[in-house]
Amino acid sequence: MPVRLSAVIRRSLAKRRLAPRYSGAGLLWRGVRNSSWPRVWREPPLKKSYDVVVIGGGVHGLATAYYLAANHGITDVAVLDKAYLGSGGSGRNTAIVRSNYLTPEGVAFYDRSLELYNTMSADLNLNVMFSERGHLTLAHTDSAVRTMRWRAEVNKLQNIDSSVIGPAEISRIAPSLDTSPNTRYPILAALYHPPGGTIRHDAVVWAYARAADAHGVDMHQKTEVIDITCEGGEGPDGKGPGAKVTGVCTSKGDVSARVVINCTAGWAGLIAAMAGLKLPITTHPLQAAVTEPVKVFLPTVVVSGSLHVYVSQTDRGELVFGASVDPFATYDMGGTLDFTEELAGHVLELMPAVSEMRLLRQWAGLCDITPDYSPVMGFTPVEGFLCDVGWGTYGFKAGPVSGEQLAKCVAEQATPELISPFALSRFDSGMLVGEKGAAAVGH
Amino acid sequence: MIRRLEPRSGEVIDRATPLKFTWNSKKHIGYAGDTIVSALLANNESVFSRSMKYHRRRGVLTADYWDPNTMVQVGTEPNVRGAHRLLEADMLVSAQNAWPSLDFDVKAANGLFGRFLTAGFYYKTFIKPQRLWPAYEKVLARFAPGGVVDLNTPHGYHDKRYCHPDVVVAGGGPAGLAAAISAAQAGMNVMLVEHNHHLGGHLRWGTDEDRAVADELEATARMAGVEILTDSTVTGRYDDNWIAVSQRNHPGVVERLIKARAKILVVAPGLIERPYVFAGNDLPGVMLSGAARRLINMYAVRPGNRGVVLTANADGDAAVVDLERAGVEIAAVLDARAGETISKASGSSRHLNSVTLLDGSTVKADLLVTAVGWTAPTSLLNMAGDRPCYSPKAARFFSTALPDNVIATGGIVGDGRLDELIAHGASSGELAAERAAAVKHRLRSTVTRAQTPEGPEPPMPADHRDGLCKAPHPELYRSDTHGMVDFSEDVGSKDLLSAAAEGFDSVELLKRFTTATMGPSQGKLETVNTVAVLGEARGESIEEVGTTVWRPPYAPISLGALAGRVFEPVRVSSLHEWHTANNMKPILAGQWIRPDHYGDPAAEVTNVRTNVGIIDVTPLGKLDLRGPDVPRLLNLLYTNEWSKLPVGRVRYGMMCAEDGVVADDGVTGRLGEDHYLMTTTSSGAGQIWQWAEMWLQTEHPDWQVHVTPVTTGYTSINIAGPRSRDLLTRLVDDVDLSPVAFEYMNVRSGTIAGVADCFMWRIGFTGELSFEIHVPAGFGLHVWEQLIEKGADLGVGPFGLEAQRIMRLEKGHFIVGQDTDGLTKAPTTGLTPLIRLDKADFAGKPELEWSLGAGAPELPVLVAIRPTDPQLVPDEACQILRKGTAEIVGRITSSRFSPTLGRSVCLGQVTPEFAAAGTEITVRLCDGSDTTATVMQHHAHFDPEGVRLRG
Amino acid sequence: MLLVPCPHCGPRNSADMSYQGEASSRPDPSSTTPTEWREYLYMKHNPAGWLRENWYCSSGCRRFFTVERHTVTSEFREPPLPGSKTPRPTGDGADPARGAP
Repeated sequence: MPVRLSAVIRRSLAKRRLAPRYSGAGLLWRGVRNSSWPRVWREPPLKKSYDVVVIGGGVHGLATAYYLAANHGITDVAVLDKAYLGSGGSGRNTAIVRSNYLTPEGVAFYDRSLELYNTMSADLNLNVMFSERGHLTLAHTDSAVRTMRWRAEVNKLQNIDSSVIGPAEISRIAPSLDTSPNTRYPILAALYHPPGGTIRHDAVVWAYARAADAHGVDMHQKTEVIDITCEGGEGPDGKGPGAKVTGVCTSKGDVSARVVINCTAGWAGLIAAMAGLKLPITTHPLQAAVTEPVKVFLPTVVVSGSLHVYVSQTDRGELVFGASVDPFATYDMGGTLDFTEELAGHVLELMPAVSEMRLLRQWAGLCDITPDYSPVMGFTPVEGFLCDVGWGTYGFKAGPVSGEQLAKCVAEQATPELISPFALSRFDSGMLVGEKGAAAVGH
Repeated sequence: MIRRLEPRSGEVIDRATPLKFTWNSKKHIGYAGDTIVSALLANNESVFSRSMKYHRRRGVLTADYWDPNTMVQVGTEPNVRGAHRLLEADMLVSAQNAWPSLDFDVKAANGLFGRFLTAGFYYKTFIKPQRLWPAYEKVLARFAPGGVVDLNTPHGYHDKRYCHPDVVVAGGGPAGLAAAISAAQAGMNVMLVEHNHHLGGHLRWGTDEDRAVADELEATARMAGVEILTDSTVTGRYDDNWIAVSQRNHPGVVERLIKARAKILVVAPGLIERPYVFAGNDLPGVMLSGAARRLINMYAVRPGNRGVVLTANADGDAAVVDLERAGVEIAAVLDARAGETISKASGSSRHLNSVTLLDGSTVKADLLVTAVGWTAPTSLLNMAGDRPCYSPKAARFFSTALPDNVIATGGIVGDGRLDELIAHGASSGELAAERAAAVKHRLRSTVTRAQTPEGPEPPMPADHRDGLCKAPHPELYRSDTHGMVDFSEDVGSKDLLSAAAEGFDSVELLKRFTTATMGPSQGKLETVNTVAVLGEARGESIEEVGTTVWRPPYAPISLGALAGRVFEPVRVSSLHEWHTANNMKPILAGQWIRPDHYGDPAAEVTNVRTNVGIIDVTPLGKLDLRGPDVPRLLNLLYTNEWSKLPVGRVRYGMMCAEDGVVADDGVTGRLGEDHYLMTTTSSGAGQIWQWAEMWLQTEHPDWQVHVTPVTTGYTSINIAGPRSRDLLTRLVDDVDLSPVAFEYMNVRSGTIAGVADCFMWRIGFTGELSFEIHVPAGFGLHVWEQLIEKGADLGVGPFGLEAQRIMRLEKGHFIVGQDTDGLTKAPTTGLTPLIRLDKADFAGKPELEWSLGAGAPELPVLVAIRPTDPQLVPDEACQILRKGTAEIVGRITSSRFSPTLGRSVCLGQVTPEFAAAGTEITVRLCDGSDTTATVMQHHAHFDPEGVRLRG
Repeated sequence: MLLVPCPHCGPRNSADMSYQGEASSRPDPSSTTPTEWREYLYMKHNPAGWLRENWYCSSGCRRFFTVERHTVTSEFREPPLPGSKTPRPTGDGADPARGAP
């Protein structure tokens, strides 16, 4: 475990590079002088040893590395990614952020995330284009209305701006929605969450990577973890419960480390297995699609749980769609035709006017689904091996706060309050998190 | 001056059929067979759009579906491919992405700031002050490209088709046609899909001899029985050759999705000509050789007056000949094979004026045609798992490995003379036929009940085709100047180089940072140039840089076509028409449409409590269980004891999942020695059937139980109220309904209103004396009408779901899924006596045992709650708080005003601390105010002893 | 769309089937421990490779069956014979309290 450092030493140790700051003025200056910007992050060689190795160069892994360095002065950190930064779920999600969850634990957690997203552009000096455009979750049945109200009431108690609104108000906010009562699934009400919105997902990845790099964190792309080395465990090769992690073997060489953090979403089970652990996780693809651009007409994020669809329009004019995860477990991200058919049917149910718009591209990401739709975070039965996994379809929203809390967890060697409900041990005691009650599709 | 040429032998326009149309409110005339763009060119229009970022004028580039510069709005339809869509009479065509007009676009001012608007500029600016970002964002959103969606657009008619061809051939060029012919001649059922309007591929814009070959191939294919689809695209190849075809020209359907389960897919899309990167390459007047040749040979349009041609291949050479024949003055021909090339193109923003060569000399020209090579559209191969590899010698990508059921042919495989391409296609068709036969054999032999084919499964026929050569071709990607790489996204080579220098130097990062290849043609024109420029930046070859994976669909497909006719089944009972005719207010319950009430639910409650009411409960799940081992099954599914249920009795039971969470509940009755009828909740009907089957088939295959779902086989009616017995007696002769003969929780079978084989249960959810009758569905309406008619003097009236919900709440009966949730374990419901831990096994037993054991974590408790203010009805889902805090200690799960008690009544879940009778709790109402309420001793607010229902 | 080899109906579209999750065997409820039982309820192998799993032919013969599928390439191997002993499916799909994940 890293040595605890006083705040003063920490500050002096934080090897912050002096990178030029991004700004409009800088852009003009470089435009006039025709000079280019420096590299956004370094490409350092892989060292033989790091204090902390983070597996997975997505939002979660990069945020963890950044906060380790920025908040706790732990800078001897490597982030490893088998492809390029943001190549997994971080670059494949539909970039929706919100905090109107069902359980107080969930709300508190995601609200902190939203707070971090809100100031991220300025904090990390890169415009992540956070668009606080409001978030509508439509209810088409009696019981859905009840669930929306449940969420709204829990949200209000935690000062989250969230309320149940009727068809007239929905129509005012998003005129393209068919709010007439004669559809197959009439829109009865919606949970309206004004602070929800969208963000440029890739920019979030780059912002954390750039900021972490400035603090001395090493990022290694195209560096695949092949094994995790342990000692003293019950299982073969000294792995499994009771073991202590000693490092990782990668496609570019072996690295010793005192702490190894698993931030690999859909691949989380495979990485955990390398440490001799089994997780309550099944990997399912979550598909998404985008249309050709048209002039902007949809001002908010629209989600329908019963119709398994969510849609928003980017500033570029494309409609971005998502749905629920694929029905069976697979690591294949090829995508399916049935997804696009069902999606289009449901979108047209909500917005008949877009039937002439064309689907341009579909893709899939891998989701790590847990039985209670809540993550697995923090310590595991293998000492020094921490997890930040099980995010299912909610991972992107939670990136900043997960990184912040996990960094705290590593630095203070204690589970922070905010993530204590998400411990792996809950599956041993059978005390699951109640987010399951409102699951279905909840983007 | 661009204009229509004299009639020519290969033209596809019908000069006898002129068509009037409108372009940006100007009136023009074209011909049938024209595309929108060819008609506009013939009318001397040469600018079709403004570019996305800098709003530069754009003319024709490829003159086909992939042309990034010719997307137009047609009526309410945005983003129409103007160079592909055929002209129709009275079409209203307008330019997109220009304001106020195509000719004068104020956003063109962006072009002046080009050096500041580098790729990804927005990530670096608008950071501070953050409060201004939303305002900036609104401005950025106005720059969104594309057409306009009319919010009144109707859904349109979209059919779908399913088919099971042996072979699907994607691409109707010479190789694709030859493959289709030989596969069909080998007896296979073949579907040929051609993206363009005409078969023949590049032969269509070739010589007269080329066209003669195309015509002959087409005629042979038709003779061989090949199903030919034109203006249709194989948009995707999914698992196990599930092929999506978008058919755009089927009569009566806007666009049709065909889903084909093909045994073999032959991929023959040909090649897509690639633009060359140099300064001014997006000026109107600069186009590819294919564009020039299509315009001249198919549409009889002269693309310019004085032209320069850069050629690296035979197609470029042919373009020179075609241009000359079309009367274009050839100012210069540069042969790239001899190392010649151009440096840049210059002109006004409206049109090309001159071309600068490498030596700095300039040539006056209004047309520049480039033929610098091709991109292999390997999209479908990618979808089949192929990762194509670059050949520097041939300057394009080639397939590396394909599954057995996908075969490639034609230009995507290699080069050759026309006869070689046709021969390769033909041998590919033969291979496809052989393999299709092997797949057929395999499919048949996996079906045990089908007639098994004779003999062992043949091995998958190996590929013995003679290959096509990879003809050498110069690698031409960028000249010595910087130009446009992605025309749709306005991304230039300079943008790519600076992004790479910043560290976005893998192809995926570069793509994401600059948005290159993300536009409507999805990289078909841009990908390889992007990779080439990145290779320059990294000092690496194209193979080292690699490429991105092409994702489906191959060509965009409309949401309408994907959706088809929205088919969402609705379930209604046999009484639905009666309800509709009698003022039903419907409610959606899963797939069911049910009467919520008939005008006044409170009056319906009162009528049941004083007279008699009838409710249609057909959606109630019903499973007919037969066999000697039914009690064992019941003991396994329910938490309570079922071994000794006598014939004629019914019992309530609760089901749990393996984690102890309440899954369903209902009553089951024993109709005969080995015959039971189980009822489930309406929403649980399907799942409980599957759940029962699962236990029987996997864990206890030795048990003899037959499960038959009979939910809709019976019309179910509950007759409730103090006069229900009087009413039912009037319709039943063969069953003694007296209280002594037919006690509470019993079941009888008999004849109702002349209908035999009905079941009658004495049970009820409403708390009143009631009978639930199950009538063969065909006679449901008859019995219902008889009940209404015969009970008129008893005050009988229908009641709906709302009245039933009020009455069950008055009685404190919980509803699974409303008063319980995804984590509610059985003990929470208070029905602990029904959890029989002394049984050897039942679903969820271990969890329930532990949750009832000593030291178990405390579970929430379901309690009845009465608000202190009897007139106040808290909304369902209102939270229960620890007084004076925001700490949640429970929630209201059901809440109604009880007309019977004249007050509000609720059910709710609370933590054990607040569960004792008489506890005062604080309820946070939706308006933010707090109120108090009291926890009651019994779940039942009304008649807790159950005197009425036992009457 | 994946073709799932039902031992009774032959290859059928996966949309005609209902996925039942990893095959695992149910501990004896009379002697099981919380750790063992919850491992059975919640823990998954979730391999990137061959997986023994259960399907229910919900729109066809309505039989449960176990197959081995490769979770990366989506191939099936050695489809079982009808009537072969199949371990009880557990987890996601088999549990009526939970909808699709």
